[in-house]
Amino acid sequence: MSDYLSTTEKETSEMLKSIGVNSIDELFDDIPRDLKLKKLNLPQGKSQQETMEIMTALSKKNKVYDVILRGAGSYDHYIPSMVKNLASRSEFITAYTPYQAEMSQGILQAIFEYQSMICNLTGMDVSNASVYNGANAAAEAMLMSTDRTRKVFITFDNIRPDTLKVLNTYAHRRGITVCVLPSKEGVCDLKALKEHLDDTSAAVYIEQPNYFGLLEDAEKIGELAHEAKAKFVMGCNPIALAIVKSPAECGADIAVGDAQPLGLPMAFGGPYVGFMACTEKEMRKMPGRIVGETTDHDGNRAYVLTLQAREQHIRREKAFSNICSNQAYCALIASMYMAAMGPSGMEEVANACVSYAHYFADALASLGFALKYNGEFFHEFVTVSTIPAEKILKALDKEGILGGLKLSDNEILWCTTETLTKADIDRAVEVIRRVK
Amino acid sequence: MKLLFRESHEWAAIDGKIAKVGISDHAQKELGDLVFINLPEVGMTVSAGDVLCDVESVKAVSDLYAPVSGKVVKVNDELEGAPELINQDAMGSWICEIEVTDVPNDLMDEAAYNKFIKE
Amino acid sequence: MKLIFEISEQGKRCATLRTPEVNHTKVGKKFARTTKLELPEVSEVDFSRHYTALSRRAFGVDNGFYPLGSCTMKYNPKINEEVAALAGFTRIHPLQPENTVQGALEVMNTLSGYLAEITGMDAVTLQPNAGAHGEYTGLLLIAAYHASRKDFKRTKVIVPDSAHGTNPASAVMAGFEIINVPSDEQKGVDLEELKKVVGDDTAALMLTNPTTLGLFEKNIKQISKIIHDAGGLLYYDGANLNAVMGVVRPGDMGFDVVHLNLHKTFSTPHGGGGPGSGPVGCKSALAQFLPDPRVEKTDKGYKFVCSKKSIGKVASFYGNFGVYVRALTYIITLGAEGIKSAAQHAVLNANYLKANIEDLYPTEKGRHCMHEFVVSMQELKDKTGVSAMDIAKTMIDRGYHPPTMYFPLIIHEALMFEPTETETKQTLDEVITALREIYDEAFKDPEYMKAAPHHAQIGRPDEVKAARQPIVRYKK
Repeated sequence: MSDYLSTTEKETSEMLKSIGVNSIDELFDDIPRDLKLKKLNLPQGKSQQETMEIMTALSKKNKVYDVILRGAGSYDHYIPSMVKNLASRSEFITAYTPYQAEMSQGILQAIFEYQSMICNLTGMDVSNASVYNGANAAAEAMLMSTDRTRKVFITFDNIRPDTLKVLNTYAHRRGITVCVLPSKEGVCDLKALKEHLDDTSAAVYIEQPNYFGLLEDAEKIGELAHEAKAKFVMGCNPIALAIVKSPAECGADIAVGDAQPLGLPMAFGGPYVGFMACTEKEMRKMPGRIVGETTDHDGNRAYVLTLQAREQHIRREKAFSNICSNQAYCALIASMYMAAMGPSGMEEVANACVSYAHYFADALASLGFALKYNGEFFHEFVTVSTIPAEKILKALDKEGILGGLKLSDNEILWCTTETLTKADIDRAVEVIRRVK
Repeated sequence: MKLLFRESHEWAAIDGKIAKVGISDHAQKELGDLVFINLPEVGMTVSAGDVLCDVESVKAVSDLYAPVSGKVVKVNDELEGAPELINQDAMGSWICEIEVTDVPNDLMDEAAYNKFIKE
Repeated sequence: MKLIFEISEQGKRCATLRTPEVNHTKVGKKFARTTKLELPEVSEVDFSRHYTALSRRAFGVDNGFYPLGSCTMKYNPKINEEVAALAGFTRIHPLQPENTVQGALEVMNTLSGYLAEITGMDAVTLQPNAGAHGEYTGLLLIAAYHASRKDFKRTKVIVPDSAHGTNPASAVMAGFEIINVPSDEQKGVDLEELKKVVGDDTAALMLTNPTTLGLFEKNIKQISKIIHDAGGLLYYDGANLNAVMGVVRPGDMGFDVVHLNLHKTFSTPHGGGGPGSGPVGCKSALAQFLPDPRVEKTDKGYKFVCSKKSIGKVASFYGNFGVYVRALTYIITLGAEGIKSAAQHAVLNANYLKANIEDLYPTEKGRHCMHEFVVSMQELKDKTGVSAMDIAKTMIDRGYHPPTMYFPLIIHEALMFEPTETETKQTLDEVITALREIYDEAFKDPEYMKAAPHHAQIGRPDEVKAARQPIVRYKK
């Protein structure tokens, strides 16, 4: 057993003597005796070596695929060595929230840089220091945009299922209605949107690209939302933003999304990081921590947590959100990723994603797989085939390839990223060709 | 014009049907450096004692209460970007104007208020 | 130091990528970005030096004493990080077939089981991403429970005045109204006041035990009876579980719902503010409402299951999986005895520190504290003008992270010390000496202390300026 204590028995007895008690148990005298536990029913502690063996064995019960053709909210991207290496510095890992600015300038500056990069990527004015994940960012945006008279949050059936589920959970007890409009040809149906917008509409939420990988006519959707005096909230894939119109260019009031593609491993769904950025007008309604620049009493540049009166530790039951801990470390990694890539690297990744997707879609088309939708897509697309999806995915699995996500008996949502090679895709196509 | 104070340190300068509303110098000192004021919405109807709006200092948020009943007809936009005006001149910095429907009779005049804060 | 934007030079590159061997597909004009992507352009050396410099301006548990009360800044074992980085845990897609992620499901199932045992609960979800998120989830369970019994008038959640700010904020997000209940002279919940506010509209009482003052709520059995007799439920804020794990369980104290903070109690790192993880446990009557999906063990292996009565999802996928791996590694290492001795030594360390400074740093008299204690510097401030903040800033000059300041709100000039079990006696002795010297300094040179820190990265920042004219991003 290893318990990370470093007090010897001698020291312990000295400490007890100094406190004026005979045993550690005496310190727990306030606890009613009949409530005390006899013994936890847990295994005995293990040495570090044994623990390592146990956990390694557990990790090996998971299959690591050579080739991944699945996205749907979690994306396999190349993570540069310097990101992994520098992020592993224990000063970053073991620090707490930078409440003491005088000894936390490194963390505060890192967050300030993250906020700046998110602002530049989205084109928005203000970013917070992060929220839990993309779905929660959308839910926070919903809470931000609704008020007493506008309580209908409009979205479409082509957003990520998890986002919709989280929105519904958050709306339920707040008297908010999540209105899910049907998509048409895979993209948001503008006519349906126009019909549903009225003076109860708080905001319109879309995802760019949407769950099916299609690019939305976001500018038009934003215009319609604004005509009805509703807010426009865009959920974005941050890699796509390198080459796709930014939320600001589309007129968004709030931009959200999951920054997992920016240097975070898939890790079975988390930890990821939700980003949130908005126009200056919405700034004081933004949840979560925000780092601001100021000066110290000698006039040196300094960073602090600012606009704190928005937050739960001050505003308590009147706070806009209860968020306290966020995903700061993941945000640090995302900003390191953006810095390591730079604008051209980010564009290269995005271009590789979209190019491989089109190459792959064309190859599948030659095998008789029809694209379900005609719209322009980024790095995900849906195919329809006569061969059951299950059969195709099993065949790929046997070859160490994680195929796309089965959406129905004969529909698959595929995804490609820059981690693939042409040979990987050709191999997958060859496997699929052989499926009868 | 009549200047009246609430025990919660808001003042109302009533001129005919319109009351200008602000916070007292004593309140300003207690709150410290103000960093933001969430101005009330124009058109909002309040009863005396309702929360009218709130003001933020770095580490606190304080509700301000309506000293009179009525409808908010105007807000002082100047304060939005410059809440420090309240710190500099609390009595000269009105927050909003209320079209008065009722003045409660527990408000104090200036002399009574000064005595109240001394106690 | 410079921002990374300020060392950026057009044309510099850091990470480089393989050129795709397929035809380049361009995004259509209608969708293409037209504004320039303003991200830093740096070389690999620039990059490494920049982030190394930032890390040297950060202060973590590995840098030194970090007695931040209520945050349980215990040591973050290195093995946890190595395990969490194994390819079998990082390179798995959340939507892989269940039979290919049996190890991941086993991690989740085993950890849930261990946490249920430690808290005395019947079922646990790991999904919430942080403590506040756990509170929100737990309150949704309570709402669902009352609704399932058609008991719709239970709209109020009672919160003691010593509670964390997240408690009332979470309850409002979950659609409840807040009733505050004051503390009694012993700094526990005032039972008479509690009796006055409970009723058939009470949904729950949220309680931290040990309380935010680091004291065990002695009347827990009476409180539990008052709430349950009124038909309400008892919610356990697990922020302070580190004091009592293995010694007493929330479930045995009468709590119905509990949230934990894996990033406090179970040694997963805070990472400068997150990711955390806020698992929620509950008694069997509420289990059907837990978030979807949960992991179940069957004779054919582990699988995800959903409940028709679930409150739904509170986060994408399954929450912060990587944090579970670390927490499980920790619990396996410590085992039943180690968990208990961690709590014992957390309490021992806090009492040792308290006993050796309380003549100068006054705290609740005549009682042992649990894993943390709160001192009030009001008297010192009255005598010297030196505030709790000034003491905190002076500690920075001596290379220690200050304790939590000005919380809980019911103590004036509060400093809250939580040394945790992983600090050595040597460190505590050094800190005791330092704190005693600092106290003397307050009388000798109060003005110097009011201007502290003098040897830190920066002097005291102008927070008023930051909030009045917010600059929240770099602009050229």
